[in-house]
Amino acid sequence: MLSKRSVITYAIAFVLILLLNFLLPRMMPGDPLMAIYGDEAMIAMTPDLKASLVERFALDRSLWQQFGAYIATLFRGDMGYSYYYNAPVFKVILGSLPWTLLVVGTSLVLSTLLGIVLGIESGWRRGSKTDRAMLAGLMSLNGFPDFFLGLVLLIVFGVLLGIAPLSGALTPYAGLSGLALILDILKHMALPVAALTLAHLAGGYLLTRNTMITVLKAPFMLTARAKGLSQKVLKYRHAGRNSMLPVLTMTGIWLGRVVTGALFVELVFAYPGVGQLTYQALLSRDYPVIQGVFLMVAISVLVVNFAVDLLYPKLDPRVSYAY
Amino acid sequence: MHIDLKKEIEQSHTGKTGLVILLLIIAIAVLAPLLSRYDPNQQTATSLLSPSYSHWLGTNHVGQDIWSQLLYGARTSLLVGFGVGILSLMLSILCGVSAALIGGLYDKIVMRIVDAFIVIPMVVVVLLVAAYIRPDLPVLILLLAALSWQGGARVIRAQSLSLKERGHVNASRTFGASRLYIARRHIVPDLGPILLVELIYGVRRAVFIEAGLAFLGIGDPMLVSWGMMMRDAMKFSYLNVWQWWLVPAGVALSLTIIGLTFISHAAESVLDPRLRGEAVA
Repeated sequence: MLSKRSVITYAIAFVLILLLNFLLPRMMPGDPLMAIYGDEAMIAMTPDLKASLVERFALDRSLWQQFGAYIATLFRGDMGYSYYYNAPVFKVILGSLPWTLLVVGTSLVLSTLLGIVLGIESGWRRGSKTDRAMLAGLMSLNGFPDFFLGLVLLIVFGVLLGIAPLSGALTPYAGLSGLALILDILKHMALPVAALTLAHLAGGYLLTRNTMITVLKAPFMLTARAKGLSQKVLKYRHAGRNSMLPVLTMTGIWLGRVVTGALFVELVFAYPGVGQLTYQALLSRDYPVIQGVFLMVAISVLVVNFAVDLLYPKLDPRVSYAY
Repeated sequence: MHIDLKKEIEQSHTGKTGLVILLLIIAIAVLAPLLSRYDPNQQTATSLLSPSYSHWLGTNHVGQDIWSQLLYGARTSLLVGFGVGILSLMLSILCGVSAALIGGLYDKIVMRIVDAFIVIPMVVVVLLVAAYIRPDLPVLILLLAALSWQGGARVIRAQSLSLKERGHVNASRTFGASRLYIARRHIVPDLGPILLVELIYGVRRAVFIEAGLAFLGIGDPMLVSWGMMMRDAMKFSYLNVWQWWLVPAGVALSLTIIGLTFISHAAESVLDPRLRGEAVA
């Protein structure tokens, strides 16, 4: 069941994202073509090209017609053309997307699972020495920006110990295949994933721990205890399962954080994902790519949030009564 | 609300630790000119020096004194942090309290916009906008404030809704008090502790994002910032300069954020009374 409220929310968010992407370059002082296409395009510019670009974005017509033209090109799956890479933006992003998905996906799963388990253990021992140490430790960890954690890991494991590769996602020109290739990929992603997982562990942990503390006071816990269930069953089956639920609702929000974290961490490890791409685009003022990345990241976070909203009532039937 | 926030923070170890850290950073920011002999932007011919008596943390790639950059970096972080925190808190109060008091269609519209803002990843928006306008300090503060008020607005609205039904507010309404008067006189003062928690959230977020933007190299290159120091130092990570260049900047930034996290955790029991009375670490 999906409430009308959340449908409206996502519709507004979607329109806001599109509007921002549309209005920003067109509101910049100077030539809008420059703002839409970036520096490289201006070098390649010929009168013919200019005429066709103006035509394509309806730049000589009213703002409304321009917006219509913008939406129409987007729905054709056309995100623009990068003159820096001399390729369609969609293709450029698609080239680096798998690496980012790999790193972000792994970190999100690892940090959520680890956060939940640590949260359950910590909440179960609430007030004890272990609990306090974990709480202080994870909150401090939360303070380290992901890119600094990445840099520290890089220096310790890459530079000082020399056991991890310093940059990239693959050993270049190694011509590896099969198991060796997989191992090589794992070796290269280990540090970026570790940095992101550590930096984003605290969110899931704190939320699970807080819920755990509340759940432990619930009457059904007393009943379960009275039935003589074992500690393990009490902790994980009864208290833990209920403490996980709020974490799931946050998945969409955390995805947004981990993705933005990945943008920074990729830069540290020169990992060839979307972050590295964005950084290059910022340096070379390759606006079509920046716009494309923004659109893609914002909309995928939106979609995941939407999916979580759809799935949540199935996991926790109580919320369908709440509306 | 009958919660003494000051007591709440003083009673918890984390709260006290956080407060001490934050005061230390503030002292560094204020006393920066007294604690260092060099102008952080002053370039000299002696670049990449190791720490010595005259340059405590050596010099960077263009011969600037790293120690004084570290001190002045605190100013940038705190200025952006508190600037954004205060501005966005004001926006949150404006939207949250007005939505709660006016209600009806206005409330619905404001809350849908708030929800929409919450699901859009903010850092990516900042990146996009910053790519175009390359903000200097005041513009950066305005930009971040304009994009980070939504969470606070929601919490403040919820609390104002409950405050609105209290007896003294009702009494004041029967005396003919206007909504503005009620908001100013009864609602906002009673929001006290919540406002402080939201302020600290806002400051923490802004410190973090400012460093991130500077790390990416978007922003004012003349502004000394911890993020920018880390960005410069990263390029020399194959030398041993990271020990006195990269690490101090990173640690200073992390300490600031940790201090704020500790304070907000201690104060969070205000928002979630179920956590109260807990033996906090």
